[in-house]
Amino acid sequence: MLDVSELHVRYGPVHAVRGVSLLAEAGRITLVLGANGAGKSTSLRAICGLQPAGGGSVRLDGAELLGKRPHRIVRDGVSLVPEGRRIFAPLSVGENLRIGGYTAGRSRVAALADGVYDRFPILAERRDMPAGLLSGGEQQMLAFGRALMAQPRVMLLDEPSMGLAPGMVDTVLDRVRAIADSGIGVLMVEQNVDAGLAVADTVSIVARGEVVRSGDAEELRRDASVVHALLGDAALAEEGTA
Amino acid sequence: MIDWYFSHIVLIQSTLTTLLLALSVQVPLRAGVFSFAGVGCYGIGGYIAAIGMVHYGLSTATAILLAAVAGGVVAYTLGLLIQRLTGLYLAMATVAFTLIISVLVVNGGDLTGGAAGLFGALGMLDTGHLLAVAAVVVAGLTFTEIGPLGRRVEAVREDPELAAAMGIDVARYRRATFAVSGVLGGLSGSMTVLLRSTVTPDDINFHLVVLALTIIIVGGSRSWIGALVGTVIFVWMPEVLAFVGEWEDVVYGVLVAAAAVYLPGGVTGAAVDGYRKYRRKRREAADTPPDGPSPHPAAAGVGGDS
Repeated sequence: MLDVSELHVRYGPVHAVRGVSLLAEAGRITLVLGANGAGKSTSLRAICGLQPAGGGSVRLDGAELLGKRPHRIVRDGVSLVPEGRRIFAPLSVGENLRIGGYTAGRSRVAALADGVYDRFPILAERRDMPAGLLSGGEQQMLAFGRALMAQPRVMLLDEPSMGLAPGMVDTVLDRVRAIADSGIGVLMVEQNVDAGLAVADTVSIVARGEVVRSGDAEELRRDASVVHALLGDAALAEEGTA
Repeated sequence: MIDWYFSHIVLIQSTLTTLLLALSVQVPLRAGVFSFAGVGCYGIGGYIAAIGMVHYGLSTATAILLAAVAGGVVAYTLGLLIQRLTGLYLAMATVAFTLIISVLVVNGGDLTGGAAGLFGALGMLDTGHLLAVAAVVVAGLTFTEIGPLGRRVEAVREDPELAAAMGIDVARYRRATFAVSGVLGGLSGSMTVLLRSTVTPDDINFHLVVLALTIIIVGGSRSWIGALVGTVIFVWMPEVLAFVGEWEDVVYGVLVAAAAVYLPGGVTGAAVDGYRKYRRKRREAADTPPDGPSPHPAAAGVGGDS
């Protein structure tokens, strides 16, 4: 279980994340919703060590992660799938996976890659192709597969549906559900409210660097207008303060 | 053949030492570190070898070894100091380091010989020794270009943040490139000086930075083969261009500009691309019946998300 509490991040004078608390439990998807600039991606980057945090705590099964360097945090069991399907474009699909398995050790890489190919058969077909030639959806699958190679206990997904064709969004989010169902905790940032709500277990809504509402996804699915109202309010308030 | 070898021995030897200098800049560049610290270590290595032989009577091998180790240690320390800089800022800092070395040796008094430099440091070196050192270096570097280590180096260059998110200690790789670059610079500098028997502050200057960079741009930046091709071109060009006389610099400039514009991957990159195209054409010609439509496998495979 990943327990983020009272996380603060500052970019110089800008207090981007002000005391965000989030929870990611094994087998469950925690969806983080929020308008642009609300501090969602910054929170994810702080959790995995890419952005220094200004305070708070990030505990993975009780052990503090905050202050560790990113490559250490991967070894502890937290893998990030960054925004915008960042893959190593010149490397082949198989090589991308092997890079992802760097922390797993050489002897296990082949078995782990086979596991990823079973999960995403399309990657097996494309294994020798340069990753940059894959379609958007395939690149996202590769990014998932590469993160899975590190055998994470918790995966952090930063807007997996970004820039995908509408038909592909549901396919990708179904894969996220399948990843969670295999026992991994998922903390997912999304802008696509309806598609995200459809697969999530818990939801936290972030506005201006703070969690303004968290609750059961089921509840919010029944009354999606509440979410839209909260996100709308957040957007309006942001314009007001700017 | 023997005659040709003896009349070109200086060019052959300086090809090998210049190759090491070019590699000292290419190695960090391949990991995304825009550092010229290797050039500064060329100066350090040259002076340490000369001082060791002239003042302390060291043997050739000891002097070269000492120069290589000193280059590595100095560059690694510099790397610790400036490892948070990236891109052009890092390049500027390392150029400054190189220029500081040349100022230091001018003001080194009797130890460095001041502005006049040091004379009489003639090492017992022949082409065979140089070839052996270059071969060991190239063999070692090949491991950083292929296999798991090659993939990680490429990952660190392409996207350091993503590489860190894969569990790769990016900072360690960057520091390691500083150390390797320093050792290569030290080797190149010491061997150059011990072949020429003299070293002056003018030998360590900005023109070496330009030389190393143009070799890599024209030859290719992704592999030691590119550095070798570029080195051969630039060491031998003055000989080939002797007939144009004082227009040599103009021809040189035009060639560099043309390579930067038309050969973004360097001569080596263009050759590899050309070979791949040739192989694909051969394969397609073999796959398709003479009058059948030619299916394009790559085009058919992409586009799964629409």
